Amino acid sequence: MATQPKVAKKPLKVRLYTYRWFYLMLVPVFIFVFFFNYLPMLGIRFAFYDYTPFKGPTWCGMDNFTKLLSNAQFWSAFSNTWILSVGKLIVNTFASVLLSLLINEIAGIHLKKFVQTLVYLPHFLSWVVVASIFSIILSPQNGFVNDILVTLGILDEPVYFLADTKAWRWVFFIVNVWKDTGWGTVIFLATLTGISPELYEAARMDGATRTQQMKYITLPALADTIIIVLILNLAKIMNLFESVLVMYNPKVYGVADVLQTYVYRQTLTTQVPNFGYSTAVGLFRSLIGCALVLGCNWASKKVRGRGII
Amino acid sequence: MKSKVATASADSGRKSTKIDGFTILNGIFFLITCIIIIIPLVKVFVDSIDAKAAYGMNLIPNEFSLSGYKLVLSTVALYKPFFISCVITVAGTLIGLILCTLGAYVLIQFDMPGRTLFSYMLLFTMIFQAGMVPMYLNMKSLGLTNTLWSIILPGSINIYNLILMRNFFEGIPQSLFESAEIDGCTPMGIFLKIVLPLSKAALASIGLMFAVYFWNEYTNVTIYINDSNLQNFQVKLRSLILDDQSLAAATSAGIFQTTVKNAAIIVAIIPPLVIYPICQKYFVTGINMGAVKE
Repeated sequence: MATQPKVAKKPLKVRLYTYRWFYLMLVPVFIFVFFFNYLPMLGIRFAFYDYTPFKGPTWCGMDNFTKLLSNAQFWSAFSNTWILSVGKLIVNTFASVLLSLLINEIAGIHLKKFVQTLVYLPHFLSWVVVASIFSIILSPQNGFVNDILVTLGILDEPVYFLADTKAWRWVFFIVNVWKDTGWGTVIFLATLTGISPELYEAARMDGATRTQQMKYITLPALADTIIIVLILNLAKIMNLFESVLVMYNPKVYGVADVLQTYVYRQTLTTQVPNFGYSTAVGLFRSLIGCALVLGCNWASKKVRGRGII
Repeated sequence: MKSKVATASADSGRKSTKIDGFTILNGIFFLITCIIIIIPLVKVFVDSIDAKAAYGMNLIPNEFSLSGYKLVLSTVALYKPFFISCVITVAGTLIGLILCTLGAYVLIQFDMPGRTLFSYMLLFTMIFQAGMVPMYLNMKSLGLTNTLWSIILPGSINIYNLILMRNFFEGIPQSLFESAEIDGCTPMGIFLKIVLPLSKAALASIGLMFAVYFWNEYTNVTIYINDSNLQNFQVKLRSLILDDQSLAAATSAGIFQTTVKNAAIIVAIIPPLVIYPICQKYFVTGINMGAVKE
């Protein structure tokens, strides 16, 4: 401790020399950051160009943006991004809080470990695997779910859940809950184990029931964590991509298409991709994402005294 | 002390003997939760070993057979993507860990001139990304498209993981560094002999995050790689599920296509399924390192 001020007073040249090896160690990191994070940013200029694989980039000013703002498909993708992301965030957080409260009430330590191991599991499966599993299970031709519902008489005939505009969003939310609720409990359980057992003991002595303990001790302790989780995830709203890409299909574009999948289709699966236009859509998304991250960072600093970045 | 232990054991004794309505309801709830989570996986597994009409409500195979797996493991078009996935995962995780640890080690040198600038340069990449199309054009102009490097290299520079690693390194007592320096240890020596051995838990947990990411990689492969010889298993699995034509071999061999599909899903799940229960504690350390660090 005592040596620290002395070190800080050393002249810059000496310090640069002292840390020479550290600069060398940073070189590989910066080569990667340069080539894969900063160099691509030069490509953002194409948002202001007309650029197809057959015709080199020609300047077109704000044309791409006016085109984008008057495109119905773009606006549908924009609102779907918000609906699906926010819906997923609310449903998942609610389910995670509920599940972690109940896991916390399991008395046996081995049973608790077992349940935790099991509910975390789906998180580690890729979206492709999850989508494959559910497309088979929800299939209209002898699919597991359809067979059960028809046998029980709940449905008259099989429903093609993943191609039904009314059902798709619910299927999306349910699959998300199946995959990520368990993993979402990790952070809540960490908070719950931090609550002093003496609080519960005192409450029990005063004759508080289990629901009362939950209401007056557990939930208030969780409130901060819930807010933090909401803030952290709000920052990622614009990132929604792969889960939609593997679960949607042309029939449900209207309710499922998000900005990232829209850019993806405009770039990779159209006959003549206009790189300029899709860059413009991407830039629009990046800017909103950037504003969200900064806003959430600000909110996080307010709530818990430190930012998220 | 003694009395505390006594009351605690008495308390737990009371707790374990008392079975109230809530405990029963909670038990039923978890039974249902576990069934809901496990059933889709069980169903896929059952159908993957069922040679007859692998669909419907049954949870026991009609006719046991491993022909689906045999086909997956004997068709070049199916097992080659599996090896490509392995190569991507191993290479990406190694490079990712090297970059993470080096960067994190430099970022804990608080006296180093330029440290703040460096960390801001790294943080900026988390706030603002170029986006899919500029990234694609960049990879193309670097000549990396249609090579496995296009998956390995961009994925292995992960600033979020680097920050997690830095948070962990910050917990190593400064006095260790100082005494090593006095003993004449070079910065690289300190890194290799002190920092890394002390961070095994962090290396395991961040390494696992990288491994899961690379194993599950799908989108970037579809964007950067056209060559069907370089597709990884996730992409192959996806086209298998969507496109029945690539299953012509199965039909001609008299195997149900759904059996093969289910078998392919199981093959894609096996690596995470084997590693995950063993390393669960490291996964949990990882997320807590980032989220609830106070």
